[in-house]
Amino acid sequence: MAPTTQQTSRRDLLKVAAVGTGAAVLAASCSDDEEYTGRGVRVLRASEVPLDPFHDIWRDAPFTDVTLGPQDVALPQRVKPSVTKVRVRSVHDGKKIGFRLEWNDTEVGDKTIRVDDFRDACAVLLAPGDADESLRLMGSAETPATLLHWKADWERIVSKGDEGLDQAFPNRSVDTYPIIHEIPADEVGIDSYVAANATEWLPAIHVKNPVAGKAERASSVEKAIAYSFSTTTSAPTQDAEGRGKWIEGDGWRVVIVKPLGARDEGEIALKPGTVATCAFAVWSGGNRDVGSRKCPATKVEALELDA
Amino acid sequence: MAEVTNWQLNRAMYYPYEESRPTRQAAAVFDTNKCIGCQTCTIACKTCWTSGQGQEYMLWNNVETKPWGSYPLAWDVRELQLLGPQTWDGDTYTGNTIFEAAPAGERNIAWKPTELDYAYPNRGEDETNVSITTKRYNLKLPHDMWFFYLPRVCNHCTYPACLQGCPRQSIYKRPEDGIVLLDEERCRGYRVCFEACPYKKVFYNHTTKISEKCVFCFPAVEQGIQPRCMRNCIGKIRSFGFLSKPEEVREDNPIDFLVHVRKVGKPLYPQFGLEPNVYYIPPIHVASDDFLTMLFGPGCLDSIAAYKKAMNGEDPELLAALLLAVSTDRIITRFKLVGNRVHAWAENGDQVVDMPLKVPTVERVPFDPDLNVYRYNFT
Repeated sequence: MAPTTQQTSRRDLLKVAAVGTGAAVLAASCSDDEEYTGRGVRVLRASEVPLDPFHDIWRDAPFTDVTLGPQDVALPQRVKPSVTKVRVRSVHDGKKIGFRLEWNDTEVGDKTIRVDDFRDACAVLLAPGDADESLRLMGSAETPATLLHWKADWERIVSKGDEGLDQAFPNRSVDTYPIIHEIPADEVGIDSYVAANATEWLPAIHVKNPVAGKAERASSVEKAIAYSFSTTTSAPTQDAEGRGKWIEGDGWRVVIVKPLGARDEGEIALKPGTVATCAFAVWSGGNRDVGSRKCPATKVEALELDA
Repeated sequence: MAEVTNWQLNRAMYYPYEESRPTRQAAAVFDTNKCIGCQTCTIACKTCWTSGQGQEYMLWNNVETKPWGSYPLAWDVRELQLLGPQTWDGDTYTGNTIFEAAPAGERNIAWKPTELDYAYPNRGEDETNVSITTKRYNLKLPHDMWFFYLPRVCNHCTYPACLQGCPRQSIYKRPEDGIVLLDEERCRGYRVCFEACPYKKVFYNHTTKISEKCVFCFPAVEQGIQPRCMRNCIGKIRSFGFLSKPEEVREDNPIDFLVHVRKVGKPLYPQFGLEPNVYYIPPIHVASDDFLTMLFGPGCLDSIAAYKKAMNGEDPELLAALLLAVSTDRIITRFKLVGNRVHAWAENGDQVVDMPLKVPTVERVPFDPDLNVYRYNFT
């Protein structure tokens, strides 16, 4: 959509301000609940990139409201988006870049044990170029996208541990599990199989599926590389971090942090003072959002990193 | 969507991928008339493949009692309800398949089970079609009051709904034997396959949070050995082998013979459109042609007639093919009836079966004059 006259004039004024007084003045002008009036998402230079979603630094970063829409390209689709807006703030400290995403969701989806448990999640897509629209949906065969996928069930595991089978299935009754039969069934966990060198009984774990269930996790964010739909592959180096908090009646506040540099093939290396492409997506577990059933941004944004 | 041939529907249909039949298709024929519902197949599978944590409610093989049994709960009637009217014009299916009935944004219609739907694997077990308290029924064939056992495994379909549903292409069909496998390393537990399979034979592991399904014991099959659920069948109801492409049918291949030549093996719910490769010989005692046609398609009544003919001794070759079921652990690829003897061979040429069509019997007279005693046979 072409910008309105009013929008154009605001941008022009902002450009004049930026040129005339310097970036420091612009940064100082950003305060709590100030919408970024430039292009896309501004990455504010900050003293640190805090993991805490409620750290004061996030209040200083101007926000951009990103419109989420249907995923109507790949099957299965999410024709009617569960979430229609995500508010994005971003900061970097010269070494790391962080995003704080907030969106409304009326219920927490932080479990994936039962067949009908689906998790809440959000993702940041980073790719080269200046708001390259062709990369909006998971990059392209020529230009991979770096995906930072925060998962509410991983967050739960990091913060308080996963829901156990005994909680998910309070009426279950298991006499014993083969191979590790000396361990009382109620005390069996993934670690029991690992210790007994018997992970064949947990097939996905045996073949080292990077997203298979784990009793403990170091991070709630998965870094992945994608070359379009269906190609998302967990990156060999998992150096992204995250922290999410759900507030009753208000929804999620999630911080996703990664190093500015790249350590894996296909991963984007971001540099202060440059522009890149970014996009966002949200999944609502209560609406059975999973995989391609998601609510992606309706367009990519320019990711403008302060020098 | 590509147009593909589904011989079970006697027409072309739409499927997301081009037709690509395997060189030969691992397939089975289950004789429902012989199943005693002992669940030995279920246990053979369970103890081998799904006895780990997170697989407690997972049954790659189950045996349900029809008409009321189902696992997961009412899986078939819920899928059929979503599918809408299913009409046949002779042998040609004129209704929609699950792919053709797909709503906007989806690849197929899909009933989405909840956790509770897996909590009652034995629901309806041994329950008859009608209550025995309301009316007195006389024993006759077919029975007014009936039930039968329906053993179920993954059908390793020619057009798998699980495969086409997966947005990550984590499920694949092997070109050498048509076995449908789920890549445990690639799957991300989205459960689209789990929803897409109308037979509900893809499962979710609660501990690994990754989907799993029947592998047709492929490590055994690769060595010419039948899957465990087949080998351990107490009632000897299961014939396992390789089904040829429809245009390459061999009469001496027992599976081809049962499915394509004598046509006694019928697919389960062919109207879904998946061209399933586990076939069933329908029960002969069920007095509901409509019910049987719903389950096994319009050819089921001819199948019953052919089966009865074999049992009456009028089709010894069919009887010979049926007798091969669980007669050996090896996979039979060729058989021949010579006189009263059934011969069968494995793929490498080993003769693995040589047995009489009719077992010789000896009638012993009760009185033994040499010892001056009476002997009684109790069996």
